Amino acid sequence: MNAVEVSELTVRFDSFTAVDRITFAVGVGEIFGFLGANGAGKTTTIRVLTGLLSPTEGRVRVAGRSFADGARTIKSRVGYMSQRFTLYDDLTVSENLAFTSGLRKIPPAVSAERIQRLLRFVGFNHSPSALVRDLPGGLKQDVSLVAALLHDPDIVFLDEPTAGVSPAARSKFWALIRGLAREGKTIFVTTHHMDEAEECGRIALMRAGRIIALDSPAELKAQSFPDPLLEIEWTAGAPAGWRESLLERGAASVVPYGLHHHVMVNNRAAWDRFVGEHTGRLTVRTIAPSLEDVFIRLVEGADR
Amino acid sequence: MSGEARRFILGRALSIARKEVRHLSRDRVTLAMALGVPVGLVILFGYVLDYDVKRVGLLVIDRDQTRVSRSLVDVFAAADYFSPLALPPGATPLGRLEEGRAKAVLFIEPGFARATAKAQPARAQIVIDGSDNQTTSVIASYLSGLQNAASRSLVPDTGPPQARLRTRFLFNPELNSRWFVVTGLFVVVLGMVSVLLTALTVAREWETGSMERLLSTPVRPLEIIIGKLAPYMALCLGAVGLTYGAARLWFGIPFNGSHGTFLLACVLFLTCTLAQGLLISVVTRQQQLAMQFSNLTGLLPATLLSGFVFPIESMPVFFRYLTVLLPARWFVVACRGIFLKGAGIADLALPLGALAVLGVGLVALAVKKFKTDVEP
Ligand SMILES: Nc1ncnc2c1ncn2[C@@H]1O[C@H](COP(=O)(O)OP(=O)(O)OP(=O)(O)O)[C@@H](O)[C@H]1O
Ligand SMILES: [Mg+2]
Repeated sequence: MNAVEVSELTVRFDSFTAVDRITFAVGVGEIFGFLGANGAGKTTTIRVLTGLLSPTEGRVRVAGRSFADGARTIKSRVGYMSQRFTLYDDLTVSENLAFTSGLRKIPPAVSAERIQRLLRFVGFNHSPSALVRDLPGGLKQDVSLVAALLHDPDIVFLDEPTAGVSPAARSKFWALIRGLAREGKTIFVTTHHMDEAEECGRIALMRAGRIIALDSPAELKAQSFPDPLLEIEWTAGAPAGWRESLLERGAASVVPYGLHHHVMVNNRAAWDRFVGEHTGRLTVRTIAPSLEDVFIRLVEGADR
Repeated sequence: MSGEARRFILGRALSIARKEVRHLSRDRVTLAMALGVPVGLVILFGYVLDYDVKRVGLLVIDRDQTRVSRSLVDVFAAADYFSPLALPPGATPLGRLEEGRAKAVLFIEPGFARATAKAQPARAQIVIDGSDNQTTSVIASYLSGLQNAASRSLVPDTGPPQARLRTRFLFNPELNSRWFVVTGLFVVVLGMVSVLLTALTVAREWETGSMERLLSTPVRPLEIIIGKLAPYMALCLGAVGLTYGAARLWFGIPFNGSHGTFLLACVLFLTCTLAQGLLISVVTRQQQLAMQFSNLTGLLPATLLSGFVFPIESMPVFFRYLTVLLPARWFVVACRGIFLKGAGIADLALPLGALAVLGVGLVALAVKKFKTDVEP
C-alpha cells in the first residue's frame, strides 16, 4: 500500500485553480520531493494531504484514510511542519511541545520520554525552558520538527523546512530527514534548493497547479538529456564560426560555461566528424547534467 | 456524547486553556487592561456621571392662591428634591426653562382648592425640561412618588396609595443615582473589555500562523472555543471582583442580594460577551478588524441600548425589541436587581434565562463559524 495516493486532485479558490487535476502516489518509506516556483500549488497540495483543506475535486488517500473518514483521522496520522513559523514565540520550547502533546492526546509519560528522545535526535543543545523567541532560526526549525514528530506519525510533511536557514543548518536538517527515512517514515518535502532535491528518492515538478514531471533525479536527467552532455575546451584557441557550424551540423545546444562550453549532441556521426577535424585543439569530457539544467529544460518545454 | 468523548473534549480544551494562561502570564499589558480598566473607569465615571438630582429648580405658578394650593407646594419643597421658585415680574415660564433657571414648572390652576373639597379631580400641571434625558427621568420618578404624598396630604380619604408609581423608591430609596450609574457602568465596561479580550485571541493566532499548527492536530472547534473562553472567564471574574470591591468601598453601593446569584449572572453575561468576542475573532481572522468590530458591537450598543444611558421604556419600539438581543440589557437589569433590590434567582428568571439563551447561542455560533480551512 502506498503512503499517499492522489488521483485527479483539484483545488479551487473561487474561480482560481491552485491545484489542477494532479495524480501521483508516494510509496512507504520514500523521500518524496515537491518542487516548483512560487505559487505553483505545493503548499495547497500539502494542506489537502494533511487534512487542513478539503479537495474541490478528486480523491486523496493518506495513510490509508480518505476525507470520507473525516479530516481529523488524517490529521491524527500525519505530521506536518508548515512553511510558516507556527510555534508560540512567547512560550518556552517545552511549553510549546507540551501544548502539542496535549492536543494530540499523548499520555504525559510517553510525551515526556518522546520529547527528550526527539530533542536529542535533532541535537537540540539549548535549555528547553528557553523562550522560542530567543532561539536562532535553525533551532526553531528543529523544534518545529520535533513538534511535528511528537505523535510518531508514519508520514511527515515538511513544507520548505530549510527556507531561510544557514547552509550548515540545512545540511544538518537533511541528515535528520535521512535518519527519519531510515526509521521507515515516509517523507514528503518541498524545497527550492536543487542540492536538496538531489537527496530525494523521487521528485515531482509542479508548475501552475500541474505536475509536469515526476521521477527519480537520475531518471529525470536521463529523460531530459537523452544525448550525452559534453564539456569542451579549446586548448589552442577556437576557430572562428565554430559554434554556428556545430549547431548546423546537429548539436542541440551550445552553452558557454566559464572557460568551457556545454554541448548537447543529437547527431553522433556529425559530432565525431567535427571532433576529428579539430584533433589536438579540442578536449572533450562527458558530464552529468544538474537538476537545475533539467528543470530549466522542463519548464521551457512546458512553456512552449 | 459518550463519557469518553466528553473527556477528550475537556482534555484538549484544558491544554488550550493552560496555554492561554501562559500567554497571559507573560502579557502584562493585557493583564493590566483586563483588571485595571474596569475598576479605573467605574471609579472615574462614577464621579463624573453623577446624576444625583437634588433641589431641582421648580418654578411655581399658583393661580389658585389658596391654603390647599400652598400646601401642595409645601409637599414639593419638603422633599428636598425641589426648591420652589417664584416667577419674577416680566419673565415667562418658558423663558425661565430655556435659560435653565428652572428645570420644571408647576402650574396650579384656579379652582384647585374647590375641586379637592368636592373630591372632584383636581388639576395641577407639571412641565419638565426634557432636554436632559437623565435628569428628566429622575425628576419624573420623584414626581410619581410625590404625587402619592400630595394626594394623601390633600385628600386624606383617597384609599390605598398607588403602589405602581412607587417602584423606583422601592429599590433606590435614597434616590441615589450614583448607585444606579455605577451598576450600569459596571456592565458596560465589563462587556467592552471582555469582548475585546477574546476578539484578539483567535485573530492573533491566524496572523502569527500558529493556528495552522493548532488545526493540523485533530482539535475540534468546540475544544478551541471552550479552551479560549475558560481562562478569560477567570480573568474577567477577577476584574468583577476588583470592580465590586471598588463599588462597595468607594461609593458605598449597597449589596442586598446573594453573591451566588451575582456570580451566576456574571458568568452568564461573560459567557455571552466572551463568545461574542470569539465569534468576531473567528470570522475576521485579523486583529485590526476584530478590534474595530468589537468596539462597534461591544461598546456602542451596550452603552446606548442597554438602558444604562437611555431608559429602555423611552426608546422607539424597534429599538426596544432590539435590546432583547443585547446581553448587556439583561445584565443591567439583573445587576440593579441584585445590588439594589436584593432580587433572588426566582425574581431574575427572565434576565438570567435570557442571558443563558444568548450565551449558549453565541457559543454555538462561534463554534459553527469556526472554519478549519487554512488560508494563505
Ligand atoms: N486560501 C486561498 N485563497 C485564495 N488563493 C489561494 C489560497 N491559498 C493559496 N492560494 C493561491 O494558490 C496558489 C498556490 O499557492 P501555494 O501556496 O500552494 O503555492 P506554493 O507552491 O506553496 O508557493 P510557495 O513556493 O510560494 O510556497 C497561489 O497563487 C496562492 O495565491
Ligand atoms: Mg508553499
